[in-house]
This record gives sequence, C-alpha cells and structure tokens, in this order.
Amino acid sequence: MSDVGWGLWGSWEETEACLNTVVGEWWGPDPVEPGSIRRWLEPKEFDCAIHTDVGAARAVGFPDLVAPASMVFSYGVAPYWSPGDSSKSIDDEPTQIQIPVIFNVPAPCNKSFATSMEVEFNEPLYPGDVVGCVSRLIDIQRKTLKVGPGAFLRQEDTYTKQSGEVIAVANLDIFRFYVEQGVTK
Amino acid sequence: MTEKLAKAPAVGDVLPAIEIPITLQRLVMEAGANRDFSLMHHDSAVAQSAGASAAFANTFFLMGMFERLVRNWAGSCIRFKKIGPLKMLNFNVVGDTLLFRGKVVAIDEVERGEKWLLNLWCESERGQTTTCMVEVIKE
Repeated sequence: MSDVGWGLWGSWEETEACLNTVVGEWWGPDPVEPGSIRRWLEPKEFDCAIHTDVGAARAVGFPDLVAPASMVFSYGVAPYWSPGDSSKSIDDEPTQIQIPVIFNVPAPCNKSFATSMEVEFNEPLYPGDVVGCVSRLIDIQRKTLKVGPGAFLRQEDTYTKQSGEVIAVANLDIFRFYVEQGVTK
Repeated sequence: MTEKLAKAPAVGDVLPAIEIPITLQRLVMEAGANRDFSLMHHDSAVAQSAGASAAFANTFFLMGMFERLVRNWAGSCIRFKKIGPLKMLNFNVVGDTLLFRGKVVAIDEVERGEKWLLNLWCESERGQTTTCMVEVIKE
C-alpha cells in the first residue's frame, strides 16, 4: 500500500464496465537468455544446473537450458521506458510495474494490496523466447474489511510466447479500498 | 543439482528447510533481477507508509524461493505444474531471517507419471508469513 499513484480513480460502475474485458496487453522487452537467469538466481542463492548448464538440462529431457518456472513473470514485465518515451522529471511519480486491475481499472479506491496469487504452467521458457501478457479482469467482489470499504479484483494473466504457445496462466487477487487520508484522484 | 531423489517421496515427507536473511542489498538485487521496482520493495519510507516496518520482499521473490525449496529437495527430475495459491499473511522485511519449509501432502498417479502436492510456507520471527501450495509432475 502506498500513496504513490496507487490506482486509477473512478466509480464502481466504471469498475463493473471492465469486467471480463482485456485491461492490459504488452510484451516483455527482453528475450530469455543465460545472463538474466543468472541474475535472477543470484539473490535467492538458487543452485540448480538445469538453469545454467545446457548439458544438465538436456540430461533430464529439456532441449536447452530452461528458465525457472516463476521467471515467466519477470520476462513478462512491461518496459519501464522505451525509445521514444518522454524523459522523467524529478517530480514525476515513479513508473509502476504493470498491474492493470490497479492502474488501468478505475475504482473509488486509493489503496490496495495483493492477497493471493496462483499460476499454472504449460510450457517451459528457453533462451530466445519472448513473453507477452494479456490481462483480464475476471471477478469483482465488493467487501468492507477493517482497512476500509473496497473490492477484491481478480486479474487473470495469460502469458504466451512469440509462437502463440501459452506458457502460463496466473490469477492475482488484489483488494482495492478507500481510506480518508491521502486520497489519490 | 541434476540428481534425482534418492528414494521415492511419501506423504508426510518433510523438505529440507532453507534459511535466508533479508537485507536491503538482497532486495535491490532481487528487484533488478525480477523487474518489480515497486517502491515498497526497496524504499523503507514507502514501505512504512504501507504499514510494514521496512522494505519488504515481493511476490516474485517468494515464488522463486518456493521454487528453490522444491528444486533443492527434488533436484531436476520434476516439472512445476502449479504454484499457488500463494497467500501473503505478513510482511517479510529487511532484518528478517526467513525460513522456507514444506512437506508432501499428496501423491497421485497421472497420465505421464505422478503428481506431487506440496504444502510450503515461510516463517519469520513473527511466525508464518506466507503459505503456498505447489504441484509438480514427476514423469
């Protein structure tokens, strides 16, 4: 939860209008390659040879070294800046990671937090793969919690390769709510 | 770590635990690697405005650590079918030493081998902070 650009303001009617629609669609900017895998393994002290050694990956049936399954999210993050985009000023709000049910779906809410996430994997990621993501708002459950009135919004993210193969489908539950202080409109 | 498990797992087996300290350096390395640059994961002032005591680990890190926990135990012989529901119960903040644990809760035959259902969780000194179910396929 944060006061920094924490969601798109709007009415509940505008929220409902987004139900079962595509609320975000983009491609990750970088292909899978060994360097980004190594940097992802590093802070977790994650030692598994199929992610770093082609021979080890082939020995267990993969055609090439394979990215960790949950790296699909990282390869699917939209760029924070691309050639042609304007430059940031010191007073601009920081660029946020793409979570469309927070930043693209209007709601009368000024705070939010993630409550649950799950992902089913279909296809491994190999060097050279590029990851696209399509996000849909698939459920809205209005609820008042002790933090304030709001709604649970479920975002379904479908990750695909450039070939169209579905890599994974993830469901992310976000609780968006309203508090009196620090309203962001 | 390409070896297979020394013996077939059984329901009730406990996965070897992993301990990892959460430092700001680790969170910054993690953000750079997993591309989640939300401020609360590397800026303690922003994290405190969200009710945490300091910058806290993001979901991508927790999922990756659960993946490491399973790989450390099972080696390279399994494929991940599902991670989740992953439920965040408390913040995992700078200064915490996290303990990732798990156990086997079900083994089912499937078309091309076995599906193992694992119940995983993460603990800090404040108790259980994250829970996560994982399904893997052993062909």
